[in-house]
Amino acid sequence: MEKRNQRRTPRPVAGPSLITGYQLLEGVPDEMIDPAGNIRPGWSTLMTAFDRLGPAELPQRFERAEQYLRDAGVFYRKYDGAETNERAWPLAHVPLLIDESEWMLISHGLTQRVELLEKILADIYGEGKLVSQGLLPPELIARNSEFLRPMVGIKPVSGHFLHFCAFELGRGPNGGWWVLGDRTQAPSGAGFALENRVATTRALPDIYGQMNVHRLAGFFRAFRDTLNAQARGRDGRVGILTPGQHNETYFEHAYIARYLGFMLLEGEDLVVEDGQVMVRTVSGLMPLGVLWRRLDGAFADPLELRSDSRIGTPGLTEALRQGSLSMVNALGSGILETRALAAFLPRLSRALLGEPLELPAIATWWCGQEKEREHVIAHLDRMMIGPALSSTLAIDDPQGTRLGSTFDPAQREAVIAAIRDKGGDFVGQEPVRLSTAPVYVAGRLEPRPITLRVYAARTEAGWTIMPGGFARVGYGLDTAAIAMQRGGQAADVWVVSSRPVEQVTLLPQDGEKLVRTPAGALPSRAADNLIWLGRYAERVEATIRILRAYNARYAEVSNTALPILADTRTYLRPLGVDAKQALPVGLLSAIDSAVRSASQIRDRFSPDGWLALNDLQKTAHAFATRVKSGDDATRAMTVLLRKLAGFSGLVHENMYRFAGWRFLEIGRRLERGVQLARITAWMTRPGAPDGALDMLLEIGDSVMTHRRRYSVSAGRLSYLDLLVLDPLNPRSVIFQVADLKAQLETLPGGIEDGILSPATKAALELHTELVIATAEDMDGPRLKRLSGDFSRLAGLIADAYFV
Amino acid sequence: MLYDVRLTLHYNYAASVHGDRHHVRVLPASLPGIQRVIAASLSFDPEPAETGAFVDFFGNAVSTICYRSRHGHLDVRLAARINVEERVADADLSPPIQALREEIARLWSLSGDSPHHFLSPSPRVAIAPDVTAYARQSLLRTNSVQAACMDLCLTIHRDFAYDKHATRVDTLSGEAFALRRGVCQDFSHVMIAGLRGLGIPAGYVSGFLRTIPPKGRPRLEGADAMHAWVRAWCGKAVGWVEFDPTNAMMAGPDHIVIGYGRDYADISPIVGVLRTSGGHDTTQSVDVVRVE
Repeated sequence: MEKRNQRRTPRPVAGPSLITGYQLLEGVPDEMIDPAGNIRPGWSTLMTAFDRLGPAELPQRFERAEQYLRDAGVFYRKYDGAETNERAWPLAHVPLLIDESEWMLISHGLTQRVELLEKILADIYGEGKLVSQGLLPPELIARNSEFLRPMVGIKPVSGHFLHFCAFELGRGPNGGWWVLGDRTQAPSGAGFALENRVATTRALPDIYGQMNVHRLAGFFRAFRDTLNAQARGRDGRVGILTPGQHNETYFEHAYIARYLGFMLLEGEDLVVEDGQVMVRTVSGLMPLGVLWRRLDGAFADPLELRSDSRIGTPGLTEALRQGSLSMVNALGSGILETRALAAFLPRLSRALLGEPLELPAIATWWCGQEKEREHVIAHLDRMMIGPALSSTLAIDDPQGTRLGSTFDPAQREAVIAAIRDKGGDFVGQEPVRLSTAPVYVAGRLEPRPITLRVYAARTEAGWTIMPGGFARVGYGLDTAAIAMQRGGQAADVWVVSSRPVEQVTLLPQDGEKLVRTPAGALPSRAADNLIWLGRYAERVEATIRILRAYNARYAEVSNTALPILADTRTYLRPLGVDAKQALPVGLLSAIDSAVRSASQIRDRFSPDGWLALNDLQKTAHAFATRVKSGDDATRAMTVLLRKLAGFSGLVHENMYRFAGWRFLEIGRRLERGVQLARITAWMTRPGAPDGALDMLLEIGDSVMTHRRRYSVSAGRLSYLDLLVLDPLNPRSVIFQVADLKAQLETLPGGIEDGILSPATKAALELHTELVIATAEDMDGPRLKRLSGDFSRLAGLIADAYFV
Repeated sequence: MLYDVRLTLHYNYAASVHGDRHHVRVLPASLPGIQRVIAASLSFDPEPAETGAFVDFFGNAVSTICYRSRHGHLDVRLAARINVEERVADADLSPPIQALREEIARLWSLSGDSPHHFLSPSPRVAIAPDVTAYARQSLLRTNSVQAACMDLCLTIHRDFAYDKHATRVDTLSGEAFALRRGVCQDFSHVMIAGLRGLGIPAGYVSGFLRTIPPKGRPRLEGADAMHAWVRAWCGKAVGWVEFDPTNAMMAGPDHIVIGYGRDYADISPIVGVLRTSGGHDTTQSVDVVRVE
């Protein structure tokens, strides 16, 4: 059984009062308090600053960080069996401080380690000497599902297999740092490290400013520049390949793509032609030079790798074989994460580098070898027993990995028998004990076990290690095992220098050449989502306006049988909206659809726009539980309308007038055209109930204009003139057509050498017809056909840009 | 023995397809001491927008084709002349099963024909207790690895019914075992599963078979289909030995090898990725004619 941790109190320190009551765990090193019970130098500065803020302000400061994370919409997904849900990013507020001199040791050790890993990987997918010389058992590789046979013999065009790796580190009982695991497949979390930093500095800007903390931006900048240079050398772009919005770290993929200016791509955005990987964009196919993948290698190509992958690109392996694309990291690099490989690294380091490992890893014995197997069995009580070929870290694997001392006699016997029978399936590892660091819990500091996640990137100048990053903080006091998925937290890591540090940002510096990315690289899938976002947002607006007009009238008469009310319900029913509900389900689902479309293109618009949309969604769902029909609903609709206008305004005022904005605009215009044509046809039809024309005007937000322009001759025709044919009314049908025409002409292929695309031509035809039409021409049948004209236009746009 | 092989694979798509990409593995291999390809030509209809070729991990020749414009069908045509050597049946020099494990452990290689690749489950072949138990009987009845393989080959042929309608092209080894019926692909998958369960490295062989006509009757043109059988690694002295459980025999001068894999998924005649709203019909015709 695990020995219960004993508590001990640090020696009282003069000054900081926050640490009085900080109870250390017996025999467990702590990041803040040294073994003699004294507070370490950097920490003493931090704690003094915390004391200066005082018990009232400190929590308020931490709340600022929370507010930032909420505002930025930082989240990750958590899997609960079949269900997944979005979780707020669990920031631990107190940063973890690491002294620069200690960081140098980590940084140096990891550089050595990643160079060793590169050599091992190059051999596994190259000459295979490590196996033939007896340094690496063939079984470990041949049985490994991360050994991607089609990749054998393919030399990466960049000359390197590894470009971006992460390492999980823990501080062992002897005070030194240990490598708990290597992440070489597609390491996640670098974006969260950035967000940790931004959030923490929002809370503690003054303290951060005075403490000489190493900046993170330089690391990202160097990596970005390296990938851009590689891509330019191949006349292409850099893309980030994501499994899509259902992935647990999709937020981070979008965040990094936006931060570094890379395209965010999914497998279906790519196509291979003549051995070259191309991006399907609205301007046609564009070459890709570098792909930073965030999906497991086996899923990258359904033709040569896993045939059941639905997130890959057929022919990707072929493109790599022909050397037309640089893959970050090479497909197959996941094999380095194999747990049993750790057993061979010390020997491989001496063989390949001629030197011992600078940073030790947790001692590992692979039971596929007789001597090692017997050692593990003899010391079973002091071993973690786990699957040899797993790539899950032992500390993240509560189901698959067990401490030998926790087996009952029957289990123990069964495990020993299994190890004897199928030794190759098992590893024994020494149990991990971690150090603790302070977390802030209800006004006090408490120690929690921590691990460090450290990132390494290959740049033109060699490997560089992110100075800082993030620490994972355990949930309870047990220093034996932690796991983010079990409810831990993440803390910012400050590497603290005794001297001022270099200030780095990603903004261009003096003397730096400005490189403007060429326009038009909008993936077709993103354009499609933008159109739908525009359409849903507009559909939501149209529905809210109708419901507001409906409820305002209902509030006056409190009689649902009133003809105009019954008639409006009949109109809304086919649209899936039941106006008898104060906040109809159909409206909520249109809002949800808008959010869903937006979530697939998070890299395309600002966090403010995203937040505004989320705010609308949250408010609408909250209203649905308490708002009543009539006055209450009228007010609620006004609130929702304002929030929606907030979103539209943010997008309209802030979004760069790129192809992306045009597609969003096209979506809005198409939907507004459809909605206007429909409601106008309905409300102006013969036999429409009393008050229909007034209601139409109110829905069309044109009451004032109408009064001004047609004060004398108001009638059915004046309404039609204003809502269909008036080119100056932004809520007229012709206004939508005119804008659509203008947008389509500007899009790639809209007009080429004077020749109009089918969509541009159709918009021109419709526009011309409406320009010369009079209100009298807009009879019932023509009005009914109008919404069909918009749908046809939508079809032509889809044919041109999304197929 | 000299053979002329003609193969046509015909795919008819219910809805026309485009942007499709395929890997074709039908070219017979040149294998020293076993067979030599004198001439071979492979053609496609319609003409692909891109063609290419490479050699895969297991040493098989792969032809790649890709289409950009819409098409409603795909024909793959192979014509080849191959000289097949008379395989000399060696005496059984294979070790008992315990010694085989040690021999494998001492084999420090990951090349495409290293037995290490052929011991674990693969996409179409699972290792299951019932199949292993079935195969273990063969081990108990014999005292060398090669004899056990031959025994299992004969046992499967005895216990399983050849039935073209019982299974599909994507049937897994476990399902075929439960049915006790299937075609050459299923017989082979079951045998591979059984051997791997015993710790004997086993792989899949894709190829052609000359059907020997009954006495006094003409050979049936086009009646033959693509064939599959099994190879097992029977120790360092013997190496890989090929068994045909569908015909209860070792592979011989009537067997023409296309290539090797862990199972059908590694060496299927054609594998492609295409987007279509409809399904497709497949027909296949093979002629293996002895020239002299």
